[in-house]
Amino acid sequence: MALLTDTSSSAGAVKSRVVRQYNFAQTLPALLLILVFFVLPVLALLLRSVMEPEPGFGNYAELLGTTTYLKIFLNTFIVSALVTVVSLLIGFPVAWALAIMPSRLSTVVFAILILSMWTNLLTRTYAWMVLLQRTGVINKTLMGLGLINEPLPLVNNLIGVTIGMTYIMLPFIILPLYGVIRRIDPAILQAAALCGATRFQALTRILIPLAAPGMVSGALMVFVMSLGYFVTPALLGGTANMMLAELIAQFVQSLVNWGMGGAAALVLLVVTLTLYAIQLRLFGPARIGER
Amino acid sequence: MTEPFLHIEGLRKDYGIVTAVQNINLTVERGEFMTFLGPSGSGKSTTLYILAGFENPTAGDILLDGKSLIATPSHKRNIGMVFQRYTLFPHLSVGENIAFPLKVRRWGKAAIDARVREMLRLVRLEGFEERKPAQMSGGQQQRVALARALAYDPPVLLMDEPLSALDKKLREEIQHEIRRIHQETEVTILYVTHDQEEALRLSDRIAVFSKGVIDQIGTGPELYANPSTRFVAEFIGDSDFVTCKILSMRDGLADLSIGAGAPIAGVPVHGIATAGGTASLMLRPERLTLTRGTAPQAMPSLPAAVLDITFLGSNIHVAASTGSGETLSVRLPFGHPATAGLSRGDTVFLGFDPAGAHVFCG
Amino acid sequence: MLLNFDRLGAWKWILLAITGLTAAFLILPILFIAALSFGSSQWLIFPPPSWTLRWYADFFADPRWLEAAWTSFRIAAIVTVLSVLIGLVASFGLVRGRFIGKEALRALFLTPMILPVVVLAVALYAFFLRIGLNGTTTGFVIAHLVVALPFSILSITNVLEGFDKSIEDAAVLCGAHPLEAKIRVTLPAISHGLFSAAVFSFLTSWDEVVLAIFMASPTLQTLPVKIWATLRQDLTPVVAAASTLLIIVTIALMLLAALVRKGLKS
Repeated sequence: MALLTDTSSSAGAVKSRVVRQYNFAQTLPALLLILVFFVLPVLALLLRSVMEPEPGFGNYAELLGTTTYLKIFLNTFIVSALVTVVSLLIGFPVAWALAIMPSRLSTVVFAILILSMWTNLLTRTYAWMVLLQRTGVINKTLMGLGLINEPLPLVNNLIGVTIGMTYIMLPFIILPLYGVIRRIDPAILQAAALCGATRFQALTRILIPLAAPGMVSGALMVFVMSLGYFVTPALLGGTANMMLAELIAQFVQSLVNWGMGGAAALVLLVVTLTLYAIQLRLFGPARIGER
Repeated sequence: MTEPFLHIEGLRKDYGIVTAVQNINLTVERGEFMTFLGPSGSGKSTTLYILAGFENPTAGDILLDGKSLIATPSHKRNIGMVFQRYTLFPHLSVGENIAFPLKVRRWGKAAIDARVREMLRLVRLEGFEERKPAQMSGGQQQRVALARALAYDPPVLLMDEPLSALDKKLREEIQHEIRRIHQETEVTILYVTHDQEEALRLSDRIAVFSKGVIDQIGTGPELYANPSTRFVAEFIGDSDFVTCKILSMRDGLADLSIGAGAPIAGVPVHGIATAGGTASLMLRPERLTLTRGTAPQAMPSLPAAVLDITFLGSNIHVAASTGSGETLSVRLPFGHPATAGLSRGDTVFLGFDPAGAHVFCG
Repeated sequence: MLLNFDRLGAWKWILLAITGLTAAFLILPILFIAALSFGSSQWLIFPPPSWTLRWYADFFADPRWLEAAWTSFRIAAIVTVLSVLIGLVASFGLVRGRFIGKEALRALFLTPMILPVVVLAVALYAFFLRIGLNGTTTGFVIAHLVVALPFSILSITNVLEGFDKSIEDAAVLCGAHPLEAKIRVTLPAISHGLFSAAVFSFLTSWDEVVLAIFMASPTLQTLPVKIWATLRQDLTPVVAAASTLLIIVTIALMLLAALVRKGLKS
């Protein structure tokens, strides 16, 4: 608790320098933790990608020159893009509705969004594993309705991952988009109507362009998060649809190939940080996180 | 008889059990500048929003050139509007904003370009075409909004307190612009404001709104000289009220008495007056005379004790309390002889012309 | 008038339908799992042929499940305390300090939030192999602390920025020792930020899967790791029971947070 005291209330050159050092000292425990247990291990891992088994870029050559690995990159990209597009297509109308519906209704939807977000990732993934299995509710319902004769393969493939990931990513696109739409002055849309714009023209020429920054930033965030997702693809995608995060884990856990693991981690890191830098450049700081 | 240009008939709007406006009847001539004046919540904006098509009336009709507008959605009404808040499309440049209504009307590119230039000239913002709204001042944004609203030559232009976000000096400057543009374009304007000075400065006629109804419609001088309700008297110009007793009535003129004073004959009456009932006598500060020593002979007067004397530049403002404890204000030109050496507590006589005063009953 | 709910016409119903379906999409799987945890079918047939508490009985009869739950709770509790304390001290430095590189430092503290957690998991796993922290409570706590701390710093800097320091100065001028002024004036004023920092930190650790998978050993695993390991074998309804218990803890914490927020407001 001693670190909590400071005397920054009054000025004076010497004193303020002491205070400044003092304030910096307050951040030291956190800094130490992040440096020793975050920066250092990550750098060490990346270093191993050019040091093991021998110094050089052999791991990268293998990673980017092997069809199996390239397929995994492509698959990761396709799944993430698909999840982003579907989330955006569903998320925009929902965020729009939330921004204007009576608060009685929106409170309920918000409660559902938050509950879903905070429900354990494994629980949600498990739910979809059960729902989508061959004898699951969805297949049985579709067969009961006479729409299909044979159960559809819904898990261990692209469909399963996309459904499961979209389920997880939706709140991350709805909530920020809601904030953006909420900040648009309704009078601007009234003005558009009086100018003669039909609903459709007002939507395509005014509302969507005004919400576009939120859509792009939300989409980037979902895309970045999807790229590095591990649990849901591992459980719903099956081995044929491996994604990058699983590949990294497999290099380390099953193959004990630290060099390749580090190289794959660097690829993921570079893509993530680049996209995040673009996001930061375009829209300023935003909150991103996988739990 | 020719058909009125814009006719509002028995308009009413209920929100649940709350009635926002009722019994709105109004006729506006082509090219007229009509202002809806009233405090917030008086129904003036609701009426404008019904005209714009943002609200559906509970009852009543709006006829433009004899045709009902009620069933027409906003985007087909062909009405222009400038809003209280800045409503330029923030992602479009000034030129694109003005072009927007023309583009949705499928005008050709050359015609749009020519029109945008013409409108920018009208609002005196030539050269601002490429600017984004965020790069402009509030006053400039409202001028662009005006240009956008007029670009498609609407028969009617609605303005909902467009200057309320601007400071006083800028407001007066743009009021001047609006008058000029009104004269140049001859567009019919319906203007909403809560600022009586703005209403008086701009309008041909003013409709005074109070509690969801129109109290009175008339030109500024008419409303000032002949207010039909106590509310109008209070809202247009300054006024004070003194409780009085009606003695008798004839031809809309009343004889009345104040306290134990002598009867006063021939004051115009508004509302339903009954002999023997009490009413309010309205007196305007600038129309009262002030004498000291003895009461004036030529006109009725009230004795009062001076409460406060305020110097306001060209005017001197005297507040005085009558025998019954009601406060009256008198506005006198600076240097008026009666004000020399006047001090608090002095007894003065406040005289007035009965024909220029008004009695409000109920 | 696209931003006026009552004047959207037919569009209003389309939007409502999409929102309703999405809300159902988000909530139904959770309710579905809760329902199945009481169903008698070993194969998770829905609707279940009959209702039973068997899977809960199995859960509570198995010491490995209980141990995993206890481990989760213990780790989350320690992480919460450390995360709030370190976060509080660091937030004071970040908000009140005026040193070079402050913004960079703030960004650095938040980076664990944006980095793919699998990268951190692999990196920490390698590091802990070397220093022998894998499969230890300390290892778990450190790993979870790294990802919980950003939430804590974010919550606390947020409230601290909204707190007018002159109030604290006034307490000092009244004769309070600077530390006393902080404890008696500032901390109560920012207590809702501390509380949300605690809730976020707890839930972050309690629900964390990826780091835990790498940190775990056969003798020390958290509830999510146990679920993960079980799921890799089969979809037993015991997982549904465990999941339902997790959901209940989450809802309880959310309600508590809502109540505290309400209580602090009034």
